[in-house]
Amino acid sequence: MNRRKFLLAAAGGLTVTFSFGCALPVIPKRPRPDLSDAASWIRYASGRYLLTVPRVEMGQNVLTAMKQIACEELAIEPNALAVEMHSTAAIRRARATVGSESIKDFALPLAQACATLREAIESGAGTGMIVARAIPQEALRSFARTARFVGKAVAVEQAREIVTGKPLYASDVRRSNMHFGRVLRANASPELRSTAISMDELAAAKVPGFVAIVRDALLTQGRSEGIGIVSRTPGALERIEAALAIRWQTETEFDQSTIHQAIDIDRRTINGGLSNKVHRETLDLTRPWDVDIRIDVPLAAHAPIEPRVAVAELSGEGRLEMWVGSQDVFYQRDVIAKRLGLGEQNVVVHGMRVGGAFGGKTICTVELEAAALARASKLPIKVQWTRAQEFRHAFHRPPSSHRLRARVRNGSIEDWSHQFASSHILFTNAVLPPWLQRLTDFIGDDGVARGSTLPYRALNKRVEFDLARLPVFTGPWRGLGAGPNVFAIESAIDECARAANVDAVAFRLRHSVVPRMSRALERVASAANWGRALQSSDPAIQRGRGVACGVYKAMSYAAVVADVTIDHGRRTIRVDKLWCAHDCGRIINPDQVRAQCEGNLVWGLGMVLIEELRVAQSQIAATTFLDSPIPRISDVPPMEIVLVDEGEPPTGAGETAIVAAGAAIANAIRNATGVRPTKLPLRYEYLPPRT
Amino acid sequence: MCESCTPFLWVAMMFLKVNGRTRDVANEWCDESLLWVLREHLGLAGAKFGCGAGVCGACTVLLDGKAARSCLFAAREVESVEITTIEGLSISGSLHPVQRAWLEESVSQCGYCQAGQIMSAVALLQSNPNPTDREIDAALDGNLCRCGTQQRIRSAIHTAAKLARGGA
Ligand code: FES
Ligand code: FES
Repeated sequence: MNRRKFLLAAAGGLTVTFSFGCALPVIPKRPRPDLSDAASWIRYASGRYLLTVPRVEMGQNVLTAMKQIACEELAIEPNALAVEMHSTAAIRRARATVGSESIKDFALPLAQACATLREAIESGAGTGMIVARAIPQEALRSFARTARFVGKAVAVEQAREIVTGKPLYASDVRRSNMHFGRVLRANASPELRSTAISMDELAAAKVPGFVAIVRDALLTQGRSEGIGIVSRTPGALERIEAALAIRWQTETEFDQSTIHQAIDIDRRTINGGLSNKVHRETLDLTRPWDVDIRIDVPLAAHAPIEPRVAVAELSGEGRLEMWVGSQDVFYQRDVIAKRLGLGEQNVVVHGMRVGGAFGGKTICTVELEAAALARASKLPIKVQWTRAQEFRHAFHRPPSSHRLRARVRNGSIEDWSHQFASSHILFTNAVLPPWLQRLTDFIGDDGVARGSTLPYRALNKRVEFDLARLPVFTGPWRGLGAGPNVFAIESAIDECARAANVDAVAFRLRHSVVPRMSRALERVASAANWGRALQSSDPAIQRGRGVACGVYKAMSYAAVVADVTIDHGRRTIRVDKLWCAHDCGRIINPDQVRAQCEGNLVWGLGMVLIEELRVAQSQIAATTFLDSPIPRISDVPPMEIVLVDEGEPPTGAGETAIVAAGAAIANAIRNATGVRPTKLPLRYEYLPPRT
Repeated sequence: MCESCTPFLWVAMMFLKVNGRTRDVANEWCDESLLWVLREHLGLAGAKFGCGAGVCGACTVLLDGKAARSCLFAAREVESVEITTIEGLSISGSLHPVQRAWLEESVSQCGYCQAGQIMSAVALLQSNPNPTDREIDAALDGNLCRCGTQQRIRSAIHTAAKLARGGA
């Protein structure tokens, strides 16, 4: 007997079905934080201060940085100030924690609000709301050289809880009578339309711990239908999924070559120019080029160690409470309220510490799944994606393909051409349907363009790019376009220096139009003792050094030197050491800026040598870290960080050094082997055979 | 018992020895992995879910003193084993040298992998009180950290080795 039952004939009672029409996506609001917002961040009652941090904590240790500023202005000891993460009920709307802008945009209003509070308390005020004053930066303690907490190493907020295993993350939340949910989807990219055609509900219902199957239009993500399951224990979800044995129908197909062809830069430029212009000067296309290289960067995952997770609980009065690990707590509230048809006032979302995000936890996915399952089952529900779901259902760094050409005359860059093709980042296909994304085409996509402005002098420049919607989801990844773009630029600049027969540091300094980038470059060159030759007496070993630098969002600057060893005996490429000089203006917490630099260097290393998401059979192929590795401790070399702080206003550190790290390593490999790395990731096997 | 189990409905069917205490495990949790039992049934959220396949190390605990991936064991399989989780490392409020070293070196970024890193470090130092960088790398290569804290993990393990020897 065939135990599979078709849906239409499915037994009643097990299935909860909801149906909603297609909705326009909710667009995240991005208000600039102002003084009146800041007033909602700090409170004082009976000798105790409470700081509700308007940013999401995901490892940048922004709780600590904001605490330092608050203590500085309030003139109190750190133990007199309690710090909490924000919920949508606690403060005025705060925009997403993205783009390395927490200190740049939030430090000043926070300092002003805290300084106003101190003045009020000093003048005897005890209760009531105080109107924060726009105290000028020069009059604030946080930005003075005499600061007590700012610019110093202080105890890191939540560090003790982490090392003692206290619950801090959305995945740690437990509610009374909490159940577990999962949303099953076809083995196909969510960009393809897929629907369930059959499933064995009776078999699923027999699995111990089974509670419900949920069918709800809200569970559709992209164009992938979702079938929800709810269980009493988390492990039962596996067994229910297996018993349910859903058969799916998926439209169209694609594979790796579909992706390659869509963004292949040389195919794109056959018919002339590309549609988005960054620099639009006319170049002489008839004369030969001195430098002509192509760089291909693959899809890559964020791979946070915490798979995305949300807990949702509906109260009897139709109020929904949620705990999320998201970069944008208010956006989650907005989407959930709209999609579930609840008023904003009826949804409270608590932002929990996030176990790694890197731009990937910016849209509403698992949160909507949890909310829909909680509504259908009338139970508190936790949904945490499996590792396979993280790879297959999330969005990724888009692949990109670059053609760079230059002419060098008398040691100077005369013509510079950088053409590239990629997929959307800010206008991600994970949120925007094709017709809506097309409407954004005339604006271009600033995320894709990021970092492509040439920070060097050249007589004529052409920088332009094309966008192609891919059949896999793409979106923001640490540094957005800046990682791949600066990697490409710094690879080509290195070749220009060779063509000019000028030292790589001297060539960059001679051409740089960004003084703070030059300063970082000088600092790293001296820290790494640039110019010292690397020796190898063993013929099976080649050693090399490389340098690269870059600017992030016209606000932060980094330069990196890398030493590498190619061991032909062991067939390995190893990074031996990395030096990084980093300038993000006034530093609030030097140790944590250093930590961000270290993280960025490891990301740069992973980007060049390790990371790649392959596509097969109409979806991301990877389901585990074995299929899509990230750097391990044995890959990570000693790193030396030089912080540059000459008192300029504070900016951001979360995504800067990644722009230079990858290219410095690639340039070192070029130096060691004579081979220009053009296709990432560069594994030993991909090096051409030695002659 | 976790607050989600009503004592009248669920008869304790199994016992686990966790951090020196005997804990009841309700019937319906016996087929769950040790990780889920610790986190969702016993409320010990220190060990984390990262992959569920033994590949990331976020769920590392000690089984009879040896580092093990708690996502790979069914609770039933470890009934007679001494289980130590990160919650059981500090003794009467004073931190284990590895925990102190982690604070001293400010290792954590997002922190999600760190319970696993710490448990692997504790196991390493038990068998090798003074490991070299190479030995650290070998012992912790299966503990992934996406934030890039590897350099600090290495130096924290050296610091912990010193602290454990009674050094400053
Ligand atoms: S969760 Fe156990 S090894 Fe990853
Ligand atoms: S600290 Fe974030 S994964 Fe290790």
